[in-house]
Amino acid sequence: MVTVAERLSAAGTAHALELLDVSRFFGALSALAEVNLQVRSGEKRAILGSNGAGKTTLFNCVTGDFLPSLGRIRFFGEDVTNYPPHERIRRGLRRTYQISLLFHGLTVLDNVYLACRGVSRGRFSLLRPRRDDALFHSAEELVEAVHLTAVRDSLVAELSYGQQRQLEIALALAGAPRFILFDEPAAGLSPTERSELIEILQSLPGHMGFIIIEHDMDVALRVVESVTVMHNGRIFKEGSPEEIESDPQVQELYLGGGHG
Amino acid sequence: MQRFIERHPVWSLVILIAAVFLLWLILAEWPRGLVAFAGRKKVFLNALLNGITLGGLYFLVASGFTLIFGLMRNVNLAHGSLYLFGGYIGYTVATASNSWILSFIVAFIAMAVLGMLLQVLVFRRMEGEELRQTLVTIGISIVLADILLWIWGGDFYQIETPDWLFGAIKLPIITAVKSSGDAVYMKYPLVRLVILAASIVIGVAMWLALNKTKIGMMIRAGVDDRDMLSATGIRIQLVFVLVFAFGAGLAGVAGVVGGTFQSLAPGEDTRFLLASLVVVIVGGMGSIPGAALGALLIGLSEQFGSVYMPTYAVVLTFLIMVLVLAFRPQGLLGSRG
Amino acid sequence: MAAIDQETSQSSVAQTSPRRAQLPAWIENTHPAFWLLALFLLFLPAFANDFFQFQIMGWTFILGMIALSLMFLAGYGGMVSLVQMTVAGCAGYMVAIFGTSAADAISLQWPWWIVVPVALAIATAFGTISGALAVRTEGIYTIMITLAIAAAFFYFTRQNYVIFNGFSGFNQIRAPVVFGIKWNDATPFYYLTLFFAVLSYAVVTYVSRAPFGLALQGIRDNPRRMEALGFNVTAHRIAAYAFAALIAAVAGILLTWQNGQISPGTAGIGAVIDILVIAVVGGLRRPIGPFIGAFIYVLLRTFALDILTEVGLDPKRFKLLIGFGFLAIVFFSPDGVLGLWDRWRARQKARSISSASGDSS
Repeated sequence: MVTVAERLSAAGTAHALELLDVSRFFGALSALAEVNLQVRSGEKRAILGSNGAGKTTLFNCVTGDFLPSLGRIRFFGEDVTNYPPHERIRRGLRRTYQISLLFHGLTVLDNVYLACRGVSRGRFSLLRPRRDDALFHSAEELVEAVHLTAVRDSLVAELSYGQQRQLEIALALAGAPRFILFDEPAAGLSPTERSELIEILQSLPGHMGFIIIEHDMDVALRVVESVTVMHNGRIFKEGSPEEIESDPQVQELYLGGGHG
Repeated sequence: MQRFIERHPVWSLVILIAAVFLLWLILAEWPRGLVAFAGRKKVFLNALLNGITLGGLYFLVASGFTLIFGLMRNVNLAHGSLYLFGGYIGYTVATASNSWILSFIVAFIAMAVLGMLLQVLVFRRMEGEELRQTLVTIGISIVLADILLWIWGGDFYQIETPDWLFGAIKLPIITAVKSSGDAVYMKYPLVRLVILAASIVIGVAMWLALNKTKIGMMIRAGVDDRDMLSATGIRIQLVFVLVFAFGAGLAGVAGVVGGTFQSLAPGEDTRFLLASLVVVIVGGMGSIPGAALGALLIGLSEQFGSVYMPTYAVVLTFLIMVLVLAFRPQGLLGSRG
Repeated sequence: MAAIDQETSQSSVAQTSPRRAQLPAWIENTHPAFWLLALFLLFLPAFANDFFQFQIMGWTFILGMIALSLMFLAGYGGMVSLVQMTVAGCAGYMVAIFGTSAADAISLQWPWWIVVPVALAIATAFGTISGALAVRTEGIYTIMITLAIAAAFFYFTRQNYVIFNGFSGFNQIRAPVVFGIKWNDATPFYYLTLFFAVLSYAVVTYVSRAPFGLALQGIRDNPRRMEALGFNVTAHRIAAYAFAALIAAVAGILLTWQNGQISPGTAGIGAVIDILVIAVVGGLRRPIGPFIGAFIYVLLRTFALDILTEVGLDPKRFKLLIGFGFLAIVFFSPDGVLGLWDRWRARQKARSISSASGDSS
């Protein structure tokens, strides 16, 4: 398997993410059924689909929150199927959560600092960081990048919903991510916050690929170059935003009551 | 069963061979070499039977504990106190009325009532706060231990076995053959066998009630999914109180059993609390068959340990727990998550 | 790191304001009452008798340290470990076995400067292994598993005569004479325990805002998210057990020196539960809580018998008193005495604010 990966990367076509026949069962229910997915390095992709289509389950399998029942997952050519989540994160994978999973008892800066610390050395350090600590600086920069400098020292519990969503994104950008999974980052945001989010997503460096799950087609289609539509745990359609938007089957699926 | 054999062919074979070997150990006349190596057959048989009957007692205590945990996620660390309290009450009733059976009934009812009080006054007020529940039950066990010491003092009590269960029964198992050629049969106290039978009956009845009756299946579903239980229209609080009462009552019954074939004294509460903890950790939290398996394993390991390696009997029990935690943290028959 | 090198996050205002004088931040941030207490403790031997220094304060510091190790795991890590007293007992046993005691046949009589590190290492290893077992499950299981481990240690030491000398344990264990000071005398022992209590308090406070401690609190709040940030949650939890075990081990050695003996009962089930009671009564939120709890416990333990007799009650009902006290705390103030204090302070503050605004209007 390694040789294949080496060959692929040598040819410059290594996929950032590759799912091979991935299935996930919950009892008799199959949330994912033989999903095959390839995302190029640096590619920005959206996954659309109604609730229960298996989008978040797919994310959970990729990050290792739970293991797939069948199939293999490769990250930049490396088989990570059985790796614990933290090993995948350290290889440059990141994700945000649909429901904000933040540390409410800590400040904004501490949250981001933890995220930076998690993918660097010194996770077990017993020494407090100095004021000129490099990690501390990158944490401050990240806070600024998501427009949270004003509330830097507030506890997360005191933030507004929109600010918490922005902090989610900051956590995913910490370290040097190679690939990010965004799980409905725009859900519940105001129009202004939404455009700020789009700005952030558009400003990500070109080599940093991502997958975004988004119900709002307007947001999704403005920041991605390819789209995958999922339905009932399977890949339903793949294509460019324009193709997907004009696809009669997709439209039928969306308008025909697939929502909900 | 068939599925297990299909999935674990090697293990099935090992278990089968072990079972056959055990059967041979029990039924056959031991060859000289084995006697020289492992001691007399009678000692072995005694340890085996004592282990199984002790397992029965442990099951009575632990099944209530695991039942309560399984349904309500309540960790009742005062469970050992319920055992000892029930035992003392049983002793007092038995000496006053001279009726062994009555002592069971009174102990069951008294502990069931206490259990209801615990559920209503403590656990219901702190639903979802596991740590606080645990701390409160620790506090209650401290208080109860002292109250019991106050009332019954520090003496050892033993509940007298009733006449109709007194004495030993001859089992159809040969322990040795005399030089004259006569076979010597195994003798074993009748009361222990009766109690073992009773705990098996209770265990099977609990299992049937949970698995084969409609309400039992709903309760079991409730273990997995709280919301579903309330959605089925069952009055969930009533179910909780009744299950708690039943589990606590079982602890009281176990106290009378323990008082009959062991003894009652301060400290037995902690001993049986710990035994239940280890039993359910080994067997799997919230699982009745798990409690049975765990109780059997721990009972056997204690008895065989104390016969064949007296100093390290505890270590053996502990080792079982460590191995289970290391390889199957959810317990032998426990479900994940 | 503004947020990280502070005790609490509320004082960020003080951070952004220009720094006065050249005092280090930690001195500025410490409440004056702390300095008063420090002075009081430093000069206590000048006016307190030997009994108070050795028995009351020494014991308070030691129990406080063991409870502190529990507080570290429970308060920061969300893991209520009942094995801390057992770790302390293990260290005490090692001092007896490798050092000098009345049991000549067992004790190896090594010099103290070998015995102490060896005892600390073994006890820490024991605590770490216990932790490694306990972290295989979560939440409420931790209490049960650590309680079972503690019980196994107790029964084992009671039954084993070859190494642990069974029921009677070891007697006549003394703190060594170093630099010509008899450390078992009341005043030197007082300073010895004070030193280690303050040290462990300071270290826990410091580490709680260092990456290791911060990550531990993150794991307490949200283990899944910590995994998704690249933290190895299991390894981190085990490391926390190791850290806490070291504190408990130091306290265990001091405890053995203070008692002059160690026996199975030292780390019996009762003692294990007592440590939990101390930590909970004091408060699991902050490192000072365990010491407050320990002080209350020691006072009760020492004087309750007299008080009970004085009031005309049976002095034997001491446990009942402790039990009811504990129940009352758990029922009414889950954050212990510290929680009560915080609430009282908050109410005072609210009152003064409302009266101030009343004046201005």
